[in-house]
Amino acid sequence: MMVKTLPRTDVLIIGAGWTGLTAAYELAHAGQRCVVLERGRKRHTATSFSAPEEHDELKYAHRYAHMMDVKKETLTIRNNRDQQALPMRRLGSFLPGSGLGGAGIHWNGQLWRPLPSDLQMRSHYEERYGKDFIGPELSVQDWGVTYEELEPHLDFFERICGAAGQAGNLGGEARPGGNVFEGPRSADYPNPPMRQPVSNTLFGEAAARMGLNPFPMPSANVTRAYENPYGAQLHPCTYCGFCERFGCGYYAKADPIICVYDRIKDHENFEIRFDAQVLRIEKSADGKTATGAIYLDENGEEMFQPANTICMCAYALWNVHLMLVSGLGKPYDPKTRTGVVGRNYSYQTVAGVDAFFDRTVETDPYMGAGALGVVIDDFNGDNFDHSELGFVGGGYIACKQYHGRPIGYQPVPEGTPKWGAEWKRAVRENYNHHADLVVHGSSVSTPENYLDLDPTWTDAYGRPLLRMTFDFPENDRKMSDFMMQRAMEVAREMDNVTSVSGTNLAAVDKHYDIVPYQTTHNVGGAVIGTNPQTSVVNRYGQMWDHHNVFVFGACLFPQNLGYNPTGPLMGLAYWTLDHMKRDYLPNPAPLMDA
Amino acid sequence: MTFRTVLIFFTAVAVLSISASFIRAQNYEAAPGIAAMEDRLRDDFLRFNATVNTEVDDDVLELGRLVAMGGSEAGDSGMACITCHGADGTGDGSGAFPRLAGQAGWYTYKQLKDYASGDRQNRVMSGIAKKLTDEEMEAVAAYYATISAPYTPPLGDVDGMTLQWGGQLGAVGSAERGVPACVNCHGPSGLGNPPSVPYLAGQYASYLAHQLEMWKQGKRDNDIDNVMSAIARKMTQKDIDAVSEYYNRVRPPLPIPPGAGPLPEPAAASTQ
Repeated sequence: MMVKTLPRTDVLIIGAGWTGLTAAYELAHAGQRCVVLERGRKRHTATSFSAPEEHDELKYAHRYAHMMDVKKETLTIRNNRDQQALPMRRLGSFLPGSGLGGAGIHWNGQLWRPLPSDLQMRSHYEERYGKDFIGPELSVQDWGVTYEELEPHLDFFERICGAAGQAGNLGGEARPGGNVFEGPRSADYPNPPMRQPVSNTLFGEAAARMGLNPFPMPSANVTRAYENPYGAQLHPCTYCGFCERFGCGYYAKADPIICVYDRIKDHENFEIRFDAQVLRIEKSADGKTATGAIYLDENGEEMFQPANTICMCAYALWNVHLMLVSGLGKPYDPKTRTGVVGRNYSYQTVAGVDAFFDRTVETDPYMGAGALGVVIDDFNGDNFDHSELGFVGGGYIACKQYHGRPIGYQPVPEGTPKWGAEWKRAVRENYNHHADLVVHGSSVSTPENYLDLDPTWTDAYGRPLLRMTFDFPENDRKMSDFMMQRAMEVAREMDNVTSVSGTNLAAVDKHYDIVPYQTTHNVGGAVIGTNPQTSVVNRYGQMWDHHNVFVFGACLFPQNLGYNPTGPLMGLAYWTLDHMKRDYLPNPAPLMDA
Repeated sequence: MTFRTVLIFFTAVAVLSISASFIRAQNYEAAPGIAAMEDRLRDDFLRFNATVNTEVDDDVLELGRLVAMGGSEAGDSGMACITCHGADGTGDGSGAFPRLAGQAGWYTYKQLKDYASGDRQNRVMSGIAKKLTDEEMEAVAAYYATISAPYTPPLGDVDGMTLQWGGQLGAVGSAERGVPACVNCHGPSGLGNPPSVPYLAGQYASYLAHQLEMWKQGKRDNDIDNVMSAIARKMTQKDIDAVSEYYNRVRPPLPIPPGAGPLPEPAAASTQ
């Protein structure tokens, strides 16, 4: 088939989620002609996500109507190198999006910043606990960029989202009611924190009695009418309980469509093509730069879009896949532990604790929001002494009230039968008397957890599938178990609690299973750093091997934080864009010496 | 004028009534969970947060009727509700006063509270509300909530394009202007989402347009978190007129006789 070559553009952007649309906004305003290729369809927050249709739990929460189509593209999965990997035929533990806005339309809006020590994880632990504290089987490393450097960009993204929260550290000054462990902020949150329901409030009171430091979860569910720096107007949240897996037709959850796309779509330097499936990135004859991308257009015809600069803005896993099928960067080989593309893939550890109240506490769980929570950060990162614990990392513990939907929300105390009359009775009795605690933990990278191309299976376009080799590292199992115990202690301290039970998806005797939903926070595989032997991109997000390719998203994380990734990855995105505009575009060359 | 189990009852306690029928179908009357739910329904506070209809007895409705006629503990309310809103809650035919018949009881009650406190500004209504006791506000809200009254034909002619635009704004909003659809909160076909979100279907266009204008100008802000102002500020005069005229012409589906089968489609907008 003939490939049609299109007129050259300045910047080609692959993917129209948070990072891709933001790159287009910033670069178009910097005078660059931007073409965005999005594999999914056009849709809009007002016209596509309105209740009551959007509040179809079966369609969106359980049949994943907003998610990617795994019949066209998926990955194979195995727990270790001795196994045969098999394709993921249905979505399960994570839910990548597709279409305008990407997964950014169906997030919960939990908007975090990394801790300063998170970004210097290896050097921080070595300095505090000694050189050998991080064992040889962990490939934990520094990000190569510091909190101080990212702070203005983290702050800016909070203002793009109209973040609601309570500062705990304003320019080094402690603020009561905020997160006492956070790095210094240059500005307070643009909007006041959300109003907390009874279960979250009781959690916060219990945590405070125990000497812990509760604070309202930072939220991109907006709490008052707000205009962001791009001119987007957001509305107050109605606490409807349909955030995660749903779009927000109320204009109350920040999403890339209303916050960014609407503000750039009419710009003369902006063009977006939908139903545009990128197949591979082409390289120059000397292999040192990328020349453009081959994609299938809406009619299924192959197009070549030449470009001076390429921004890879797909979901973390698919950025790595596109590098591997395009021959960008050196693929990682776990046998020799050399190469970088696919190296340091990591996930997230998630444990849950259910607390049940007596009849006097009525929780009304149907009133909720994605980031409606009270949190303690006392056991996140290195906020607590690890010297005797035998693991690194941690996580936050939150009591959340994010939905009470009838199919998905059926909390019952431990010991209840799984089905039948007794189960039904327990659901009826407990639906309105339940606190939902989550432990959201970090995940370390190891030499044996990685991504490569599958030797057997191909996608609908004939490309080898991405192969994931992953199991929870021993470090994370210990950490998650420790964290769950802490969460259960707080749950037992809560007033009017009659029963407490916990589930750890990364328990010591369990292997990672791709079937039950855990979190969409896949990270790493194309990590950021200062050493080309251990990172795909330099500290500015620029590929070491191809200086005109810039990489965005959670694939950059050298290991996973105890936080949700959107805030940190958008901080990195603005950091990269800032350096593209100031340093790269005037003089396209490597921004760091390899 | 008839008393009946009004539409809002079905929607207001949808969760509870679904659970209740589910329980009956499963023959679990003896289960302790059900009794607890029924207890909650009888709870005064909760009743007014969920609906004023279910457990409202004749005494409450009789008191409500007296208040509507202008009576109150304080002697009189200054002006009887029926003077402007009609004995059946359909207004006085001018379109200047909102239809109250079948409106969510808690919503009407909250408006009276807000008039009394000054959170909602209206000289006439504030004067009246200040003279009512809390119980009288509840009663009169319950009274109007339980009324099923005919709809007054819309006043004036409106062109089809305006109605179509109004219907589009109502159903899917405007991506261009960033206006969320009305149905997000006001329910399918604008039938309301009790207890706190009023119906729009069948409400007078001039009243709806005036309220949107008040929200736009910041003169009304008594909804939670001022959501309506954020929306109204993005609407042009044409948008406001179109959506008001449209909802004036929408009618709720007819009550369903027992055993009648599936729900009918919502009534279509009519220019008649």
